[in-house]
Amino acid sequence: MARKAFYFDQEACVGCRGCQIVCKDKIEGADLELGVFYRTVKNYESGSFPKVGRFSVSMTCNHCENPACVAVCPQKAIYKAEDGTVLQDASLCIGCGTCAAACPYGVPQIVNNKMAKCDGCAARVAKGEKPLCVDACTMRALDFGEYDELVAKYGPDLVSDLSVLPDSKTTGANLLIKARACALEADVREMNL
Amino acid sequence: MSKLFDRVLGAKVSRRDFLKGSAAATAAVAGLSLAGCSNNTIQETTKAPEETTKAPDTTAPVTHDEIVDLEAKGKWVPAACWNNCGGRCLNKALVVDGVVMRQKTDDTHEDTPDFLQQRACVRGRARRAEVYSPDRLKTPMKRKNWQPGGVEVNGHLRGTDEWEPITWEEAFKIVASETKRIGDTYGPGAIFAPSSGNGANYVMYKAAGGYYSASGTLSWGTWNEGPGHFGMEDGYSSWSLNDRLDLKKSELIVMIGCNPAWSSMGSPMYNFLQAKRAGAKFVSVDPIYTDTAAALDAKWLPIRPGTDHALMLALAYVMLKNDDEKKLIDWDFLNKCTVGFDAEHMPEGAPKEDNAKDYILGTYDNTPKTPEWAEAITGIPAADITELGLSIGKDVKVSLLTGWAPARTHNSDSMPQMFMTLGAMGGHMGLSGHMTGVSCHFGAGNGGKYLIGSGSTGISYNRELISGKSQGTLTRGCMWDAILKGEFNNKGTMTPIDFKMIYHGGTNCYLQTMPGMKKGIEVHRKMEFVVTQTTFFNTDAKYSDIILPVNTMWERKDGTMTSGNREALFYAGQVIEPLFDSKSDREVITGIMKELGVEAKDVYSMSEEAGDFRRFFGAWTYAEDGTTKTPIVTITQADIDAVPQNIKDELIASGFELKPQEGKIGLEEFKQAGVYTVERKEGDNFGHIHYEAFRKDPEANPLKTASGKLEIYCKGLQDMVANYGYTTVEAYPAYNPCLDGYEQMKSEGKFEFQVINPHYQRRSHTIFDNVKVLREAFPNPVLMNASDAKAKGIVDGDTVIMTSEAGSILRKACIVEGMMPGVLGVMHGCWVDVDENTADKVDRAGADNYLIPSKTTGQRISAWNSTLCNMEKYTGTPLDDDVNMNSRLI
Repeated sequence: MARKAFYFDQEACVGCRGCQIVCKDKIEGADLELGVFYRTVKNYESGSFPKVGRFSVSMTCNHCENPACVAVCPQKAIYKAEDGTVLQDASLCIGCGTCAAACPYGVPQIVNNKMAKCDGCAARVAKGEKPLCVDACTMRALDFGEYDELVAKYGPDLVSDLSVLPDSKTTGANLLIKARACALEADVREMNL
Repeated sequence: MSKLFDRVLGAKVSRRDFLKGSAAATAAVAGLSLAGCSNNTIQETTKAPEETTKAPDTTAPVTHDEIVDLEAKGKWVPAACWNNCGGRCLNKALVVDGVVMRQKTDDTHEDTPDFLQQRACVRGRARRAEVYSPDRLKTPMKRKNWQPGGVEVNGHLRGTDEWEPITWEEAFKIVASETKRIGDTYGPGAIFAPSSGNGANYVMYKAAGGYYSASGTLSWGTWNEGPGHFGMEDGYSSWSLNDRLDLKKSELIVMIGCNPAWSSMGSPMYNFLQAKRAGAKFVSVDPIYTDTAAALDAKWLPIRPGTDHALMLALAYVMLKNDDEKKLIDWDFLNKCTVGFDAEHMPEGAPKEDNAKDYILGTYDNTPKTPEWAEAITGIPAADITELGLSIGKDVKVSLLTGWAPARTHNSDSMPQMFMTLGAMGGHMGLSGHMTGVSCHFGAGNGGKYLIGSGSTGISYNRELISGKSQGTLTRGCMWDAILKGEFNNKGTMTPIDFKMIYHGGTNCYLQTMPGMKKGIEVHRKMEFVVTQTTFFNTDAKYSDIILPVNTMWERKDGTMTSGNREALFYAGQVIEPLFDSKSDREVITGIMKELGVEAKDVYSMSEEAGDFRRFFGAWTYAEDGTTKTPIVTITQADIDAVPQNIKDELIASGFELKPQEGKIGLEEFKQAGVYTVERKEGDNFGHIHYEAFRKDPEANPLKTASGKLEIYCKGLQDMVANYGYTTVEAYPAYNPCLDGYEQMKSEGKFEFQVINPHYQRRSHTIFDNVKVLREAFPNPVLMNASDAKAKGIVDGDTVIMTSEAGSILRKACIVEGMMPGVLGVMHGCWVDVDENTADKVDRAGADNYLIPSKTTGQRISAWNSTLCNMEKYTGTPLDDDVNMNSRLI
């Protein structure tokens, strides 16, 4: 099976939330409804004045190798597709929210009584395009594609774990981060900014 | 189909009725407005439509097929993005059945760092949420307890009164007759129009014969008027920088008060990232450890607001003191290209002791501007100042960049001149990789002449018919205070004023955007008549008597052709039909003018459609040689033939010749793409090295200063400032401690905090603050250092009250380490929400200008980054998140 991943250049990210908004813009059936996100951005800080670090994390579904949502879905409505993305058969979904509770990244949401989350912009990707968030980023900090190709393209120093994220090994998260050094420190604080 | 759309309409109007644009729809909308205000007032109803309107039910999340289906059903068209934001980008809208369902950005060509896609920012991408915002003004409105005639005014109710819908005919009559009545009764000097754009001036000239306007330094601060005198550019209409590809050649980029990641969203920050990747090191001098500083891995020098000038003097001191040993100063450049640096190079008539070098060294004032001297003022450790001073010598490729923010402080008139002096000392001008100048707004990190330009619509108005006399201009920074006092400073002469009417033309939400908003509200409540033409129930509208609902750029027939981006020209036509009973500004003005006896054809010389078409002919760029101007748009005879005859007739009658032309992109292609971008690459002819010719031969290529050189001693600057009659400066770049600045705070002991007002990603100034998805994304707290919070017993998320001499505001605390202690970051531009039930009329929205006093200094500075306040934990009702605040609905 293929393995798809998101690449996130945290060094370049300025935390502008453009990816969050453009993703929200396309959630059909929600149409900019408050509280509904497939991708979110959070800001963090490390260190103490004046030696501080600052970074953002842009996060969506990591299309995991061992997705917790797939494992727990009582309806088998969520599945790992051939191309490696984690998708859903909405007709089977009963909106129970078991998946949302199981995902360590808190990705699945219940929208209009159905589970909803990032599908890797499958329709765009099928047309040979990149996901919306990738093409929207003013800092060109996001990419999406085959895991191995992304590693080859962006170098060996990528990580899948930050101190503010769950252990990527739990679900085999397909997330490749070019991390700022401060994001790897243990003592970091979220900035509600 | 679109819940967003349903939310705009509320439950009262069906989308079908609405789209018909019929009389029935208009009536339904009027009914909605009535329903909206019948509960009582603009005290927002407890449940806004977007909260009461439930989704139709169990629509499943989108499937792949549905996405493709939606795009197949609709059409992508360019959509204007028009605010004063500091970026210029491409926005497109997917229009399905007359409704915008989705947005996208530039995908017109492959994206490379040199030839960028002009990708839109988070706000631009939320534009449809703004256009379809539930607080759109739907029909003309009249304040209920106000009647025309100047008798039944009830001015004290402005801001809290109820509203009633009126027809456009009624609205036109009232605005025309009230303007005329006030002009006839009190004279044109009784009318104040801080924003007289969008044709409002025609109405006032015609009805009353004139009005008072407002002026001042606005966003520029002291880069507004000084640079022309001492030899630099203002950073908005022209730049002193090299272009963005040359920025990559810099070895050290020093950014003083620059945060493009927040204040120039769009492409600029990506260009800085290229410089970093090319190996440049960065220093950020800023009270905040910004997203910009973090992304560029800059060394952060936290500084107290309003003290940048002191830092620059100390850097100059370090360079002078170490020059013998380290050869830091470019004496050749100073001697050849500047006047006033030392006693040997003073202009004729200037006292020898008034030279910059002796001032820096303290020869005559016994105050050498040492790093230790500056540390006490700026808060930057002397060792860091010394290190930076030693690193910006002539043999390093240095870019000295500054935003306008440090100049938006009182008494900062000489600071830009000192910034220039510092750059000249290092010789960081006129050479590749070296530059000194303003880097902000559209031009952040990318100098040089525009490579594109819009064509003219050719539309003019009948000046003779609507001529009148300007009555004078008030200084924006202190105008509310002046109006209350009944006199203003007219270049040193106190002149009486007594206003009875305010006309808000809508180019800027002046009650919200100018300092001293609390006094501004008081001013509004004293008027006989206040009218606002605008799109949302913004703050100008809220304190008015008549509101004229203006539609957005997406709804207008004439389209937009937008410059501002050095390398890309944008075009967008009409995207959707006008929403509700709104009109364009032009339609509003012609309606009022008709009441004043002027026919539409006598106001504007041509139709919007004719102007729109003519504009394509004039759009220009440069040929590959970089100097020959050439049309952008190829227009064929077939293109011309396709235009309706009446439009062609109009253009021909105006004297415009319709003939085919050869350009870079076909007309239809350009209209569909929405953008023409100049392809940049290393070594092309579109680069720019500012001051290059001047540096090579200053005599042959003089600057436009009195001496033709950079004026480190500048009589013109000194005279200009003195002429305004507020405060004075020396002709040499002497440090003036800031009014309401750090030194005053320490000496008076009355206030504990300095306030700055960063541009915040949620808004472009005040625009977009009503957009809930942006409120959701950006909570808009006050930034403070953890040590200050601890001293005050405040924890993250607590509601705090900040009180200045002007007023009190509330915000939730965002506690960080990356903030200069003693400084509070109150984000610029949120829409005021006065709690009328509090004794001190506290603003719960945290509007910056509610906290900032109405006062000015120097060249009429609006000093948004020099306010003093106190701050405590708030003991009243704490704030909810901004996203949960009700929309302003009437």
